[in-house]
Amino acid sequence: MRNLYALAVAGILLALAPLALPTYGMTLLTEALILGLLAMSLDLMVGYTRLISFGHAAAYGFGAYACGWLLLHTSLPMLAAIPIAAAMAGLIAIGVGWVCTQASGVSFSMLTLAFAQLLYAVAYKWTSVTGGSDGLAGIPRRPGPFGLHLFATRDGFYYLVLAVLLAAFLFCRALVSSPFGAVLRGVRENEAKTRALGYNTRLYKIAVVAVSYGFGALAGALYAPFAGFANTELLFWLLSGQVLIMVIVGGTGTLVGPILGAGFFLVVQHQLSNYTEAWALFFGLIFIAFVILAPEGIWGFIRTRFRRAAPETEYRRGVAGAR
Amino acid sequence: MSIPAFLVTESVNALSQAALLFFLGVGLTLIFGIMRIVNFAHGTFYMLGAFIGYSAARLGGFWFALAVAPIAVGIAGMLFELGLLRRLYRRDESAFLMVTFGMALVLTDLIRLGWGPEALQVEPPGAFSGVVMLMGEPFPTYRLFLAVSGGVVALVIWQFLERTRFGLLIRATSQNAEMVHALGVDVNLVRSAVFGIGCGLAGVGGVLAAPLVTASIGMAATMIIDAFVIVIIGGMGSFPGSLLGAVLVAFVQVFGEYYLPDLALAFMYLVMLLVLVVRPGGLLGREA
Repeated sequence: MRNLYALAVAGILLALAPLALPTYGMTLLTEALILGLLAMSLDLMVGYTRLISFGHAAAYGFGAYACGWLLLHTSLPMLAAIPIAAAMAGLIAIGVGWVCTQASGVSFSMLTLAFAQLLYAVAYKWTSVTGGSDGLAGIPRRPGPFGLHLFATRDGFYYLVLAVLLAAFLFCRALVSSPFGAVLRGVRENEAKTRALGYNTRLYKIAVVAVSYGFGALAGALYAPFAGFANTELLFWLLSGQVLIMVIVGGTGTLVGPILGAGFFLVVQHQLSNYTEAWALFFGLIFIAFVILAPEGIWGFIRTRFRRAAPETEYRRGVAGAR
Repeated sequence: MSIPAFLVTESVNALSQAALLFFLGVGLTLIFGIMRIVNFAHGTFYMLGAFIGYSAARLGGFWFALAVAPIAVGIAGMLFELGLLRRLYRRDESAFLMVTFGMALVLTDLIRLGWGPEALQVEPPGAFSGVVMLMGEPFPTYRLFLAVSGGVVALVIWQFLERTRFGLLIRATSQNAEMVHALGVDVNLVRSAVFGIGCGLAGVGGVLAAPLVTASIGMAATMIIDAFVIVIIGGMGSFPGSLLGAVLVAFVQVFGEYYLPDLALAFMYLVMLLVLVVRPGGLLGREA
């Protein structure tokens, strides 16, 4: 119950944000929520299944390009283009997952990177569809269906992002606490044992890759009409690395943590770059300090502060120690 | 240009590219073999080598820089290992990911503060600044020198790993660190040394790359992923694998650029994908 209260309070506070924040703050917050969705989707793989994807930018960039293309070249409303882009990514990710789960460990990470970089190369060269190095520009927030105008404004779009994030969070939370999620955790802790119990772990891994990429693409599909453009940077490996850092900074295997991690990452980056030229220096020092001072991430830090029992966390530490 | 001449010059060109990749890859793979960590800061140590090389070359010429800069970079790497990484050996890989990623950011900014944001030109040594005739075609001498030095360094490392006591310790530690420890060897010392050597080799790569591509802030980001790819293709932790991967990737890059320029960006990753699907542990890797 406490969890639900906390969620309701967070939801209400976020819903009231447009009343309190200036334009700049709202833009930053919207972007933070979009990145939060992306980081949360990656957490399904990294935190719950221990599939360290180093190519999550593929999902984000694909979603952004697909949604942007649909909005530019068809008359579909934004509310239809966004889920279509996400579903397409989820379907394609079944194939990607099938290939990548042939390997495990670092090789898995590198296969996901390979797919992301291939997509990057395609986006860079396939100028007639992707706009090449310029990317897609002038992506509209087309209203509808039935003349629904609500989400085209700045605050309206923010509420759309917030609603999507909340829905995705509730879905993912249900997913990880379902029997399906239990099998994923089994894969994380001991895949051979889970297989010996009769589960086809490969199928579960492919499924989680598809879901994770689908939600990652959903974040990208929101970003395209938010920013009004999609470019190759959204597919570059640097973004994959940054999202992974957001997940770890926030706390892996917690869903909430990565959302906080994304917000922290974005806000600190913006604030530091306002104050100092050498923001990356302090940014890097913050990461290093995090690893040493708050090994369980932001969310783990908050939880231990409030003396909430975290049996899962202790269990995980035991596993890491035994390595 | 005749076809044989084209093939020879492009092959030497590819080998010179392979040499640079190899200097990075061999350090990455040795460090992974011993410590099971992926060093994200490796490209930054390569860049540090180029910048220290620039300053040292202004003081005492190119050869002085080639002697001094790798040692300085190696010491910097060893300090990083001693000061930070050593505390984290009981933690999982995400801790190393964060710390080395953070270190890459910190070091990049320190270099920018120290040397400024501009790309710095380093002159190649006088003897190698011109062109030689290769199969009747002019070819930059410096690239030939790079290809040869890559071969020489590979030979030296191979002999070092196979013939010396310390090389034996490195191979043993990568196979079974606990056993080596039980036999009375200070494994931590081996780890620090390997990390230092790996970073020093990246420093060699940096000094040697500087006359070709200038010392610049962007040079780390373009090289680190290529270096990862060659290490993965060859097999994480395998020294001959890093050599094979470097040569393979360099040839794919150089000839891909020529025959199918539209796909050149993607080629390296296609190769990696193919290799990993067929052999998930890499061409010469141990684990499947």
